[in-house]
Amino acid sequence: MKVAELLKKRRQNWYELEQLCGQLEDRRRRAIGAATISRFAQLYRAACADLALADAYQIPPNTVQYLHRLVGRAHNQLYRSREFNTGSWAKMLLLDVPQRIFNDRCVQLTFAMFWGAFILSAALAVSSTVWPDFAEQVLSAEQISQLEDNFSDPIQGRNATYNPVMASFYIQRNTSIGLQCFAGGLLVIPGLLMTLFNAVHLGASFGYMARPDVPEGENFFHFVTAHGPFELTAIVLSAGAGLRLGFSWIYSQGLERFASLRKTAYETMPLMGAAMVMFFLAALIEGFLSPSAVPYPVKAAVAVISSGLLTGYFVLLGFPQQGP
Amino acid sequence: MSHNDNQLDCSIEIVTPENISFRYQVAGPFRRLPAFLLDYAFRILICLGAAWILGILQSVSGFSGWAMLILLYFVIEWFYGGLFETYWNGQTPGKRVLGIRVLSINGEPINGLQAMMRNILRLVDLMPMVPLTALFGEGVYGWTPIGLVGLLTPVLNSRFQRLGDIASGTMVVIEERHWLYDVVRMDDAEAVELAEKFPPNFQVNRKTSRALSAYMERRKFFTKARQQDIARHLAEPLLSQFNLPRDTNYDRLMCALYYRAFVAEQGE
Repeated sequence: MKVAELLKKRRQNWYELEQLCGQLEDRRRRAIGAATISRFAQLYRAACADLALADAYQIPPNTVQYLHRLVGRAHNQLYRSREFNTGSWAKMLLLDVPQRIFNDRCVQLTFAMFWGAFILSAALAVSSTVWPDFAEQVLSAEQISQLEDNFSDPIQGRNATYNPVMASFYIQRNTSIGLQCFAGGLLVIPGLLMTLFNAVHLGASFGYMARPDVPEGENFFHFVTAHGPFELTAIVLSAGAGLRLGFSWIYSQGLERFASLRKTAYETMPLMGAAMVMFFLAALIEGFLSPSAVPYPVKAAVAVISSGLLTGYFVLLGFPQQGP
Repeated sequence: MSHNDNQLDCSIEIVTPENISFRYQVAGPFRRLPAFLLDYAFRILICLGAAWILGILQSVSGFSGWAMLILLYFVIEWFYGGLFETYWNGQTPGKRVLGIRVLSINGEPINGLQAMMRNILRLVDLMPMVPLTALFGEGVYGWTPIGLVGLLTPVLNSRFQRLGDIASGTMVVIEERHWLYDVVRMDDAEAVELAEKFPPNFQVNRKTSRALSAYMERRKFFTKARQQDIARHLAEPLLSQFNLPRDTNYDRLMCALYYRAFVAEQGE
């Protein structure tokens, strides 16, 4: 059989396959119908066979290229993207993530680094002798006056309609910071810089507010106590996950660098998920409980309980389990 | 396209479960950047549209949608690409317009985790950040990403993967229909006549037929002199092999060969 004749015969099939591809791209799968889908599969196999035998048939290169595109397009409709495996999320968050965090040197390192920088910065900001204008140098004068403005009034509960707005604002802002620390970790240095910047900045704010001569300090701690544990842990966790990602291609443990990065990316994504859950919880507390007129001991109790929950999560669930 | 210019054309070979191997063309920055910018425009439009609808709602019913708007902004900012690529089979609206699609590096479709990952890590690919003052002079504040990382990393690997792609094991391929050419029509009666003078047992081998069809598809773009020039290498040995007159037009000989190889019934 000559090529001209062969092409004439096959062209009908190819056009039909092309039309079906178009239909599958535009409509939902259920609307297509089983008969069409099996016809599609049949045509796809036929096109695959034509492509495989293209060389033996002496099909012109241009047509071969057409076939490559056609088979590729049909392939993408036959094998479609898999969506989220939501069923495994609970197991992932409650079993895999704490186990991984417990043993993760990067999270531990980030934890030490973040809190080290935080405490050092806070100490420098409080002290009026060691480095008197440390807080003024880290936080600009505008930021300090804004901070003082924000906490000039005692926390007596605000108009409740603002709560959902503020809660979603905190979700947006804090989770974005967390995701930035995570993504920046891939290149190690930006991640470290962002984490240290946040630690020093937050530490300076806390330290400045803790100064005995700053009257707004009391209101400030009244506000931040309740949501602090979740929020700060979430930042440390996302930065640690990012750092793990960055180290995976530097210290590849015998794998190819890209393969090591790929493997680690799959492992750290759930960590980032856990951090995002913590950011959400923190934002809800920050939006609804922190600005309310609830007395300070209750807020402190919330902080203690959430710290306890986090410890339980990391240590009890994370402690290496024996057995299978 | 012959087998040895795969590398020139950035194509990636995939072996399917049907045990067929076919090639994808990997998408480069000139398709992906417009797709990204389009998506960016869509993102702004979605946010503006939502703000407009919520504004109308507020004026009609007094319902304040600020919280929803901020949440929507957050979701669009970080998960627009991830969600679209998960539920739209590896495409976002921008990618769809530009005819590109995200796939796993082994040709399988991507899953939700990969889609999220590659979109969150886009932040790194947009680095480094440059202060606007450096670009527009004093008085303009803010920072802008210039995307050097995302421009340089793809150059260093064979699949044009940016860092987010490398971490999530994905690649972006071009997916569009290719025009199907018919066998080149022969309206040159003299060429058909010439083809009949070939020995009946003469077979055109595969390599020659590939070269022939490449020549025939392009010959109309060449000048007469150039046609002669290109065809000479094949035509001169054949003329002596077939004992045809030396002054035969080389281009016509190619047409005749093509006719014999692709169109004419054998053994007539």
